[in-house]
Amino acid sequence: MVAFLTSLRRWSARQGWLQALGEILYGMTGYEFARQAQHLRGEYETLLLLIVFGDMIGLPLLPSYYALRLLPYVVPDLEGWKRRVLRERHPLEKEEFDLLEM
Amino acid sequence: MTLDTLIAIILGGLVIFVAYNFYARRIDRDVIQADPRKATPATLYMDGVDFVPASRNVLYGYHFKSIAAAGPIVGAITAATIWGWLPSIIWLFLGVAFIGWASDYSAIMVSVRNEGNSISAIAHRLIAPRTRIILLTFIFFYLLLVAGAFGNLMADVLNAQPQVPLAIVALMVMGLLGGQMLYRWKMDLILVTVITVGVTLLVILLGPAGLTTQPGPTGQPVTVQGPIGQLVQGFNGALNALTGGQPVIAYYDPTHPSAQRLQPGEAAVANIQITPSFVFWLLFVCLFSYLGAALPIWRYAQPVNYIGFWITFLTIVLAFLGAALAVVLNPEVARFKLAAINPNRPDLGFSLVAGQPWQPLWPMLFVTIACGAISGWHALIGSVGTARQIENETDMLPVGGGAMFTEMALGLLSLLAVTVAGTGAGAPAFANGIGNFLSVFGLPQQYGTALGFAAFVIIVITVVQLVIRIMRVTLTEALGDRMPIFRNVHVGIILSLVLMCLLVLSGTWVYLWQLFGAANQLMASLSLLIVTVWLASTRRNPAYAGIPMLFMYVTTMAATLVIARNLWETVVIRNVGREGAAVAVGGAVAMLFVAALLFIAAAFIGWDGWQAYQRYRGRPAGEAQPAPASA
Repeated sequence: MVAFLTSLRRWSARQGWLQALGEILYGMTGYEFARQAQHLRGEYETLLLLIVFGDMIGLPLLPSYYALRLLPYVVPDLEGWKRRVLRERHPLEKEEFDLLEM
Repeated sequence: MTLDTLIAIILGGLVIFVAYNFYARRIDRDVIQADPRKATPATLYMDGVDFVPASRNVLYGYHFKSIAAAGPIVGAITAATIWGWLPSIIWLFLGVAFIGWASDYSAIMVSVRNEGNSISAIAHRLIAPRTRIILLTFIFFYLLLVAGAFGNLMADVLNAQPQVPLAIVALMVMGLLGGQMLYRWKMDLILVTVITVGVTLLVILLGPAGLTTQPGPTGQPVTVQGPIGQLVQGFNGALNALTGGQPVIAYYDPTHPSAQRLQPGEAAVANIQITPSFVFWLLFVCLFSYLGAALPIWRYAQPVNYIGFWITFLTIVLAFLGAALAVVLNPEVARFKLAAINPNRPDLGFSLVAGQPWQPLWPMLFVTIACGAISGWHALIGSVGTARQIENETDMLPVGGGAMFTEMALGLLSLLAVTVAGTGAGAPAFANGIGNFLSVFGLPQQYGTALGFAAFVIIVITVVQLVIRIMRVTLTEALGDRMPIFRNVHVGIILSLVLMCLLVLSGTWVYLWQLFGAANQLMASLSLLIVTVWLASTRRNPAYAGIPMLFMYVTTMAATLVIARNLWETVVIRNVGREGAAVAVGGAVAMLFVAALLFIAAAFIGWDGWQAYQRYRGRPAGEAQPAPASA
């Protein structure tokens, strides 16, 4: 009990109760809008990379000249994009499930 | 035996404190060995879309909001009415302490330890490929059952409580406006919140304005509605006059309170009457759900959900404070008025009488209170969403387990509300109880009750619209390739709504709710089965998940059989051949097929899981390999 109270005191001093409550409230309210924006941005990014670099996953949509010119700008995002597009999907990942509560 | 609300809240707090600190943390530390230095999928991949590390507090709020809804509210209300408050509160406490937190926490943990893969993907690899297909089947029928149960509740409340419908219309309008303001006009979120939530709250409080209680012709107090209530009452009356006051459908429901007074050998008379106004409000629920399923999610479903969250959050938090302070400020409010054990079931429902509903405490209590103690849906949602945002392995317990303990608190509040209400049952008892708690702060009873009704309706109707949306998506995925017509958004929605209406009109709501609970709890036991097999495959002690899994599996399989028996003996046999009861009989037969399907599907998964467990127990294994990616 003493050890628990000591760790609780240290935790609350580090975190700040108000800050923690604010973060919890943000998680319940505005966070879903941030997630929605992230998903939307990801979809636009996926669409762009699919059009320009689709040949990397078997879709030859644009000449390689333009792909090579744009390559330096997209190299940091390529691995993440490939993983995202090729990853096995679960039906529950669709955006319709984002807000579902049971 | 009696309690008061403060003692119940303190007991609940103690249960959470002891279970979290002396059991859950021990499992996290000694069995799972959560390692703060280990990279989680969110920090390893960090693609800014799916894998995004979030702080513990933000994720706790996000995960709790994802799992908390009408389940713990409706379940607790129903169980208290059937068996009394004592068995209900014991199951809430013990269920979450030994099973609920373990299910939610473990689903997130298994996903984090397996590259962020979902529970069903892990089941495909660890147990058998058909496990994933069976889980998807479970999900579809689970959604159908919850749509039927909640749709029935909504139509009933909107029809019977004339001060409520206008608030829901306001919610719809404000939802559309909120989406437009946020995404098209780029307005500040706080300003949008103040406007939309403020207007909706105002309309909620306008509903009961002018409501009075006057002595009636017989001397009993009669409620006289205010202007808005009278308007809706007049509208309902005009609708019912279309059939001369006669019901559209009438049949015998064995779970209706009037059926309790039926003497042996006495002919069963129709005690459920579907009126034109009930059908109208059911169609209103369909319209609400249609908009939520057809429009882009940012246009309607998301802002409606957001506004509804604020209404419900404010009502629940204030009610909780009122319940705690009532002992000091207004002790009469805090006093339990519901019996600890239902006097109509002194044997806790274990006696079996031919032709009568059978509601034995075991196994039926454990599927009636579903989400407040344990829920399979939480495990599924946690493994595909929350697990990919865990920043540190030591966050898994406070986020997953902590959110489930908080969900139990929501179920406890609902139980307390019904227990102190004193009058009514179901949604009216809940709303009256919330009104009692809010009256502690000086808010007149009628306004507090209106807030209670609004919070209840909002929390349920927002789930229904999303369920219909997902059913449409599931139908498109499953049938769209073979039957192109299902690729049409509207066809999928209309079919889902028709299926929901058929279940609503079948009438035996208690059995529908319990069958939904059985499907939900079966999913929970299957999720725990997957966790148990994974623990065995990584040479960890599986007892903390395996024993709850066995209990839930046996309990929910038994409950499915009891529900099937009740449907056959008390609905099909009693109503077959009765005029106007064809829909009730048809609905009961359909539910029987669903119950049989769930039973067989669960038997398959249980058998496959047992074989997988024996396989992993027999040989050493390292960490499980990730499921192969596929386009």
